[in-house]
Amino acid sequence: MKLLVCVKQTPDSTVRVKVAGDGRSIDASQITWAISPYDEYAVELALERKDADPSTTVAVVTVGPTRSRDALRQALAMGCDEAILVTGAAAESLDGLAVARALAKVVEEAKPALVLCGRQASDDDQGLVGQALAETLGWPHVSTITKFRPADAGPAGSVDGIDVWREVEGGHEVWRTSGPVVLTVQKSEKEPRYPSLPGIMKAKKKEIPEKDASSLGVDAGGAKLEIVKMEPPPARGGGKIVKDGDMKQTAAELVRLLREEAKIL
Amino acid sequence: MATTVAAEAKFDLTLTEEQQLVQRTAREWSRDRLLPIAAEIDEQGAVPRALVREMGQLGFMGIDVPERWGGAGLDMVSYVLVMEEVNRACASTGVVLGSHVSLATAPLARYGTDAQKERSLIRLAKGEWLGCFALSEPASGSDAASMRATARRDGEAWVLNGTKNFITNGAFADLTVVFAQADPEKRHKGIVAFAVEKGAPGFTVGKLEKKLGIRGSDTAQLHFTDVRVPDDQRLGAVGEGFAVALWTLDGGRIGIAAQAVGIARACLEDSLAYAKERHAFGQRIADFQAIQAKLADMATEIDAARLLVWRAASMRDRGERHSAAAATAKLFASDVAVRAARECVQIFGGYGYLQDYPAERHYRDAKITEIYEGTSEIMQLVIAKEMLGDASA
Repeated sequence: MKLLVCVKQTPDSTVRVKVAGDGRSIDASQITWAISPYDEYAVELALERKDADPSTTVAVVTVGPTRSRDALRQALAMGCDEAILVTGAAAESLDGLAVARALAKVVEEAKPALVLCGRQASDDDQGLVGQALAETLGWPHVSTITKFRPADAGPAGSVDGIDVWREVEGGHEVWRTSGPVVLTVQKSEKEPRYPSLPGIMKAKKKEIPEKDASSLGVDAGGAKLEIVKMEPPPARGGGKIVKDGDMKQTAAELVRLLREEAKIL
Repeated sequence: MATTVAAEAKFDLTLTEEQQLVQRTAREWSRDRLLPIAAEIDEQGAVPRALVREMGQLGFMGIDVPERWGGAGLDMVSYVLVMEEVNRACASTGVVLGSHVSLATAPLARYGTDAQKERSLIRLAKGEWLGCFALSEPASGSDAASMRATARRDGEAWVLNGTKNFITNGAFADLTVVFAQADPEKRHKGIVAFAVEKGAPGFTVGKLEKKLGIRGSDTAQLHFTDVRVPDDQRLGAVGEGFAVALWTLDGGRIGIAAQAVGIARACLEDSLAYAKERHAFGQRIADFQAIQAKLADMATEIDAARLLVWRAASMRDRGERHSAAAATAKLFASDVAVRAARECVQIFGGYGYLQDYPAERHYRDAKITEIYEGTSEIMQLVIAKEMLGDASA
């Protein structure tokens, strides 16, 4: 089975992001980049399938600036078999829909049995690309999954479709899909693996072919969304400590403050 | 006239893509898996075997061993990057890794025969076996050439007798690189190195030392009583043992210097976090210039120490003479670590003296870097000898 995982390179979760001088982007000068956490879960899920069935191949793709190559290299070092970078001037300023369209072209060429995406990227949190990709391809999709595996083999040992687990309140649902499908990933059972040192050395030997986004029929002018303004959350004011009086009075004062000042009661 | 200006640096401070990925794996693994249990490792006096296995799976245990022999095929620079990260989280785990890599796999990879590598190096590199290095004795530490352990030739084998002291990983090691005197009249030129496997009859583990710091790593006495070692377990030529030890220690010193940088970094990072949190006289203690000066000095010294470590590692990678560079790195970095630990305790104040905070552990852990794999005084001798040697040439 061939799996394709779509990843996005986003600021590492330990980085404190600042708004850039233009007021509509982030200051990228001091940023450590990483694979977006949900995408990393998607990579891990795909690799777990490969662990279970070594005939599985896992390809990873990203659409983004040239620095995104590092995210692909990391995915290769984790154990993915191949990587595709869609980049170029046009790839710098795409919105989610345009990214999905570029990915659809890659999917049509690579012909994977299924496509995995993180449920949303950790930078803009839009949660759009997976579903938009399914829609563009005309494929079904199941979102926020935690596990998948080929459906139980029939008496003849044939594999028909894929079983997919979703967490729901108090338990989980199992869906069965047939044919190619796009899955967006909530998390993996195990934490994403660290790239091992031998894995890093194997990844070093792999070429990462580059596709120009414009050659996939996607152009920068195609973006339907534009970021007008970014602003940091307002600074948090100092807290208030209620300590005068006995416990009864303190409680009464706390309730009054929560009701009248904080307006949350 | 001789010049004391350092050799041309010839190194680029930009890490390669692989080195950056290696650093990232080591940093994230150490932060997630090691740091949360570092205090427990110290208190319990043991690095869990499961952690050592994880380091094996990640390729740390065979980092610079060629892929052909089960290793990751990386370089010394990658090794010091890993050592800094692991030691930043836990110096006990750091020395388990460092002794295995620098002192056991390295001499085997360099001096071992293909048959020895097939038998031992592959298992060591994958972390299936743990290695150790047995040079010091109760009566000889820095003066290693005066060792009393003997190796007597007997047909196709050797018979080893003697006691080795302060052996890191000694209690659990599957393979011990051990040195013994075969021809006392030849002094250091009579020494022979062997790769002895666990369980050899007459080879036993003696008492475990109780230490000030790096308490999670075991330090054992090893006894050899008429241990028959086949000649094919000899490492290097007869009489080459001392050269094997010196070459091995040159690399080991770079590893310990990297450990010192890691410990110093832990001191700095813990101090920074505490200084931003702790208030006194109505402000964060980080807002006092006295604290800022300490933090700035720590950061500057750590940076300088790291550069010396990287330089020594890259010289070893290029196959250049690096004894003095390794000694310089260790001398300076260990001093930096001890000073950083002292300042860290000072910044933490009374809490720095308690076992509830990491400063106390760093203070105990840092000291060993000035002692093992060559004391600071021996480092000074190595550095001076190089200068004086050049001057008289």
